Amino acid sequence: MDNLPENLKQPMIDLLLAVADDKLMLGHRNSDWTGLGPILEEDIAFSSLAQDEIAHAQVIYELLSPLVDKTADELAYGRSIDQYRCAQIVELPDGFDWAVAIARQFFCDHFDRLRLRALSHSSYKPLADVASRLAAEEQVHVDHVDAWIVRLGKGNTDSKQRLQTALDQLSPIAPMLFEPVDHEAELITAGLYPQAETDMFHAWRDVLQHVAHEGGLALELSPPNAGAQGGRRGHHSEHLKSLLDEMCEVYRLEPGVAW
Amino acid sequence: MSGSSNVGMHIDHNVQEDPEKLAEFEAKIDAGQLIEPDDWLPQAYRTGMLKMAEHHANSEIIGALPEGEWITRAPSLRRKLALTAKVQDEVGHGQMLYRVSQDLGKTRDQMLRDLITGVTKYHNVFNYPAPTWGDIAMIQWLIDGAAIMNQKSLADGAYGPYVRTMKRINMEEAFHFKCGEDMVLTLMSGTAQQRVLGQDAFDRWWYPSLMFFGPPDKPNCRNLPPMRWRMKTVTNDDLRQRFINRFVPAAKDLGLNIHVVKKSDDGMVIEKQLDPNLHYDESTENWTVTDPDWEEFYRVIRGGGPCNKQRLSLRRFSYEQGRWVRSAIMNGRAGLPPAA
Repeated sequence: MDNLPENLKQPMIDLLLAVADDKLMLGHRNSDWTGLGPILEEDIAFSSLAQDEIAHAQVIYELLSPLVDKTADELAYGRSIDQYRCAQIVELPDGFDWAVAIARQFFCDHFDRLRLRALSHSSYKPLADVASRLAAEEQVHVDHVDAWIVRLGKGNTDSKQRLQTALDQLSPIAPMLFEPVDHEAELITAGLYPQAETDMFHAWRDVLQHVAHEGGLALELSPPNAGAQGGRRGHHSEHLKSLLDEMCEVYRLEPGVAW
Repeated sequence: MSGSSNVGMHIDHNVQEDPEKLAEFEAKIDAGQLIEPDDWLPQAYRTGMLKMAEHHANSEIIGALPEGEWITRAPSLRRKLALTAKVQDEVGHGQMLYRVSQDLGKTRDQMLRDLITGVTKYHNVFNYPAPTWGDIAMIQWLIDGAAIMNQKSLADGAYGPYVRTMKRINMEEAFHFKCGEDMVLTLMSGTAQQRVLGQDAFDRWWYPSLMFFGPPDKPNCRNLPPMRWRMKTVTNDDLRQRFINRFVPAAKDLGLNIHVVKKSDDGMVIEKQLDPNLHYDESTENWTVTDPDWEEFYRVIRGGGPCNKQRLSLRRFSYEQGRWVRSAIMNGRAGLPPAA
């Protein structure tokens, strides 16, 4: 279908915001490493990943634009904090700790790849077209971050311990990536967000554990509590506020003007 | 975005080189041929090229810092992407130039450590502050514009790996310059607040841009090794005049005024007046402007600029934060911690 049924419009808007907001905040956090990465070659590579995420966010905001009558920039920069739908894991600052940055990327990229794959089969054609293109790029991210997990895990005692600490720090909140948006079940039933036969959470947990074990690392992940309310319903950490204050500093000088 | 115009080059003329080989080497340069790393090189040439390429590489990765600070504040998705890509390019230039330097005989880790411990220098222009988005526009327009002029002349040099790197870098710099031009144009055709942002930033960056090309020429500069061996091909003053002739009319077209300024220690303009010496000389077809304050130039080089400490400490922070990563994946071959 090219047009959404009226009753599914709002849930679809929330879902697309979740996808785009995750990507924007992750890209934003990662872009901050540009010029400060641990190795010049990785600095360059990680910056490309950041640019991909921001560009993906832009594409999804553009898809949303006619549904909400706002420009991509207004969506990215011009909402109040409770209107964002990102998960809390992308809001966290990494304190320029490479282990935290890599662990965050690991949880998010694998989730994103599965989500985009599912959306590439969406019955909403404009979304399916975009998602299949983005899923291919996401695969590159996954390959890159998996290689880092294994190399740091197998590197030396220090790197293994640092990465293990970062995984342990993020693994309790990472499953909230799966928190559904309001009325997500209806999108699934309508084929707008089709799910594979294997439950997405279990597919995610299995692949993460497989890679972590290859690097000699331990990883425990439990599905989010059914009633837990997080970023997908607009409940955010205090970090998102400071992130947005920084991101929107210039935009807010004169919203709506060209920069 | 950088260049190596004000790299000091102290060459030891007491080294006795084989006169036949030296003559052959100089004949090759005079014939316009490229020198390659496995050719016979006079020691002074190797040392000088290493110093120049290393200084340039240092400047690229330090130059990434003032603009990098604004990636997270870029005011639209398009600008955020472009700025991230631009800063990434500068890091890429650093990477290429460190490779050129590595081939001349110094390890990358040694170069990074020498940079953060102050043994080696980077381009002076990065010791100035970028307090607003307007500065980001001006850096990409003026400083990248100046860098292109400088690096085009360096691309006519004689050392093959450096020349090829300059050509590649110049293609990317042309994008940065276009991007900067577009940002400046957007500001100067924008709201009153945006135009003030643009003018204020221009006032902060005009003199650092003129100083970008290095100190005034020494009378015999054309006969000294850097130019005789085509490590440099155009003098500092000639490059500066080209820059002035290109940017004075461009600034006027955009509605920017050229001011003589007085700055506080933190690099902010505290007094300004329209440049009383600004005029166009019909006979020479050159624009004239008030000269930079060369005392300030040398003070900043000696470490007394507004941001010297800030830039080096951020670079040092990055080096130290990344050390465990390098030592994990390079089998412990990453360098020792730098001396305090």
